[in-house]
Amino acid sequence: MKKPYEKPVITKVETGLMNKFGNAPYYARKVRTAIDGVSIDALVQQFGSPLFVLSERQLRENYRKLYRAFAARYPNVQFGWSYKTNYLQAVCAVLHQEGAFAEVVSLMEYEKARRLGIPGEKIIFNGPYKPVEILEQAAAEGALINIDHFDEIADLEAVAKKLGKQIRVGIRVNMDTGIYPQWSRFGFNLETGQVMDAVKRIQAGGHLVLTGLHCHIGTFIMEPDAYAQETAKLVQLKYSIEEHFGYQIEFLDIGGGLPSRNRLKGTYLPPEILLPSVEEYAEKITQALYDHLKPGDFPTLVLENGRAIVDEAGYLITTVVASKRLPDGRKAYIADAGVNLLFTAFWYKFTVEMDRDLPGVNESCVIYGPLCMNIDVLDEGTSLPPLERGTRLIFSPVGAYNQTQWMQFIEYRPSVVMVMEDGTVEVIREQEDLSDIERRERLPEKLQLNSIAAE
Amino acid sequence: MDSLRQLAINEEGFVFNPATGESWTVNSTGLYILKLLKEGKDEDTIARQMAAEFDVDLETAQRDVVDFVEKLRSYRLL
Amino acid sequence: MDVVVGITGINAIDNPGPGIGIAKSLKEDPELSVQIVGLAYDAMEPGIYMDWIVDSAFLLPYPSGDYRAYLERLRYIRAQTGLNFLFPVLDAELPLYIKYQKALEAEGIRTFLPSLEQYKLRGKDRLEEVAQTIGITAPRSAVVTSYEELARAAEDIGFPLMVKGVFYKAYKAFSLPEAASYYSKIAAEWGYPIIVQQVVTGEEMNVVAAGDGNGNALGMVGIKKTWITELGKIWTGVTIKNDRLLAAAQAFIERYRWKGAFELECIVDLENDTVYLIEINPRFPAWSYFATGVGVNIAANIVRSALGLPVTVADYEPGKLYIRFTDDFVVDMDVFQKMMLRGERR
Ligand SMILES: Cc1ncc(COP(=O)(O)O)c(C=O)c1O
Repeated sequence: MKKPYEKPVITKVETGLMNKFGNAPYYARKVRTAIDGVSIDALVQQFGSPLFVLSERQLRENYRKLYRAFAARYPNVQFGWSYKTNYLQAVCAVLHQEGAFAEVVSLMEYEKARRLGIPGEKIIFNGPYKPVEILEQAAAEGALINIDHFDEIADLEAVAKKLGKQIRVGIRVNMDTGIYPQWSRFGFNLETGQVMDAVKRIQAGGHLVLTGLHCHIGTFIMEPDAYAQETAKLVQLKYSIEEHFGYQIEFLDIGGGLPSRNRLKGTYLPPEILLPSVEEYAEKITQALYDHLKPGDFPTLVLENGRAIVDEAGYLITTVVASKRLPDGRKAYIADAGVNLLFTAFWYKFTVEMDRDLPGVNESCVIYGPLCMNIDVLDEGTSLPPLERGTRLIFSPVGAYNQTQWMQFIEYRPSVVMVMEDGTVEVIREQEDLSDIERRERLPEKLQLNSIAAE
Repeated sequence: MDSLRQLAINEEGFVFNPATGESWTVNSTGLYILKLLKEGKDEDTIARQMAAEFDVDLETAQRDVVDFVEKLRSYRLL
Repeated sequence: MDVVVGITGINAIDNPGPGIGIAKSLKEDPELSVQIVGLAYDAMEPGIYMDWIVDSAFLLPYPSGDYRAYLERLRYIRAQTGLNFLFPVLDAELPLYIKYQKALEAEGIRTFLPSLEQYKLRGKDRLEEVAQTIGITAPRSAVVTSYEELARAAEDIGFPLMVKGVFYKAYKAFSLPEAASYYSKIAAEWGYPIIVQQVVTGEEMNVVAAGDGNGNALGMVGIKKTWITELGKIWTGVTIKNDRLLAAAQAFIERYRWKGAFELECIVDLENDTVYLIEINPRFPAWSYFATGVGVNIAANIVRSALGLPVTVADYEPGKLYIRFTDDFVVDMDVFQKMMLRGERR
């Protein structure tokens, strides 16, 4: 019988780092052999590495958990799915099945929602740039358009004239809720009275009917009180508009921004300590509604959360393709996925799990991506046992903003699969090949190289 | 080599350099390699001996010994 | 009554944690028979080696890691030592203990801490509100999030002024460029908002106290630091009885039903008879043994209150001196080796 083997490790005892429990064993050292019962090995065998994996179960569970937190406290709740967070069709379809409207912010996203079969009246159309042609389509199809600026009021009035009908609209508001930085570049400012000017302008035009108020105070908001302030201010604004202008405000859209259980870089404490629960947010928001709404008045509460719903449903499986020793003695690993795929690596420190239980003590190490670029770092400092070549590392949560902000850069983008609730696995976006990248290119005749070679 | 010879190595894996006051912790295989290096064995011999005694193939053992030695060098123990 | 008390912050160094002072206080209660379990984050924390005060010592994972790993370690320590009460005293670990105090209690580990809502009162953006509530004053201040706001606030308040993060860091600035550089430094490290605060002059006075969570004090001592180190830590001090200061601490306990230990840092302007609240620390200060030394054993009262034992809130005399001094001792390397390899000394 041979003795069990562990890769050799020696670590210097250094001032300030004398704690073998410091980062170990769990946080920096977790093993994941499967996602929703489908083994990592089988997934990679079948679909290759790197591989994005989304969990249908987790997606639905997160949605339902969030929805129930609000619906259990307030009678009239509608979610909008923030397309920009993840607009893969399969993801949108799951959330639409759960009852979400589409929340879109561009012509492309609007077209995507329509292509998926979402009718105009179930689309919330936000954003600072809505080209006139799509505004016209959205207005004709009855979408809920939230106006961002005065020029858009003019555009929409022109559309209304052209269509020969009044258009029901919302306006986006920005305000001080104690959150920094304040997203004051979108919509009309509350404190300066700009909102009221906008309403006045809308009424003077006579072509638009104000039915809703929208606000999105920022993203990864860790303070439930900020939403309570936002909600209270929107309710007060609603009554003040109803009183002065006679409009009936039917929906209050408080935007998205709830954090996912991810770890922002630079925060010392882990998300499970730092982040309030979903219930705490729901409690503050609905309490603010009850504190300020008139008895019997229940406008629709709209929420547009993105990352809080999809982030934790996403995993990225990568493979360690090489390791090296850096001049400073640290270990470095090269993975087959980098910041080209994990855009959110710029602000999150992900959970890194291994597909196998490796023996040996943790060593401090760096995880690089495959790009020949110095910025391609997935984790600039973690602690892992010595990894064998071929070890799979599973990064999470990565479901939000990666499949929309990833870059086609140097490498092909890999497959994205969804582990379905019934245990099957579906490819929801195929791996790219050269044809995807060159399909839109045109090489002018005079630059054709084979003709030169032939001469 | 000199600094290696001076090291006080405890069986639990604590390594102390009486000349410099530095100390290290080392796992069981690391300890094993360290002792053989102290005896003057070369890297290849150590890797072969390790592959014979432990549940590891020769190629991995060779890579790991080289890597370990590089690490010792970064600590100026070699 | 046998109590096994875990205490963190046993880093009795030049910027000491409060742990050793608490351990000494508990050992001095004639009726409590206390075993002290030192909980450290580094094998070089002196308390680990002070076996005449700290009966056993264990390393903990960093609170920045996975909570489950942390809990698992505490469970292990409880199994080894019978740990049944814990004093967390470090800023970095308080959020963990405050958030999970119920879960820990269910594991048999009691704490005596404020609620999350109470804990938020320490934010510098709430200083004026708290000061007003407890009947004192706060320096004029403004919450700023941009250079323009900073400039406006500076004009309003005048130089010199303090530039502070909500929870951490404070710098004194004498000019706008200097203030702006501190502003960006704090924002880069700790985020927004930044607080700009008037510099108030007077005598710095502090109170250490604890509340039982029902509006009653478990002890209270006012002090003035008479000598501070280069790091700004107390080296010598004297007990004082400033009525307004003590009344403010009492009001803090009553109005907010504060639970656990705290320190109020104040500046008292004797000429204008004004007490300014500068900072609220939601935990023991490092010098808390001073209170025990003058007969007000706050730490013991906290343990007693948690265990339902009788509590006596003693009074103290002003004019008692606090003297810190350096000392040293020599140990074998084996305790250090054990801490490094096994993470414990028993
Ligand atoms: C208008 C609007 N709604 C919703 C969202 C979704 O935000 P989050 O993913 O933070 O919930 C965004 C994101 O920027 C947004 O701009």
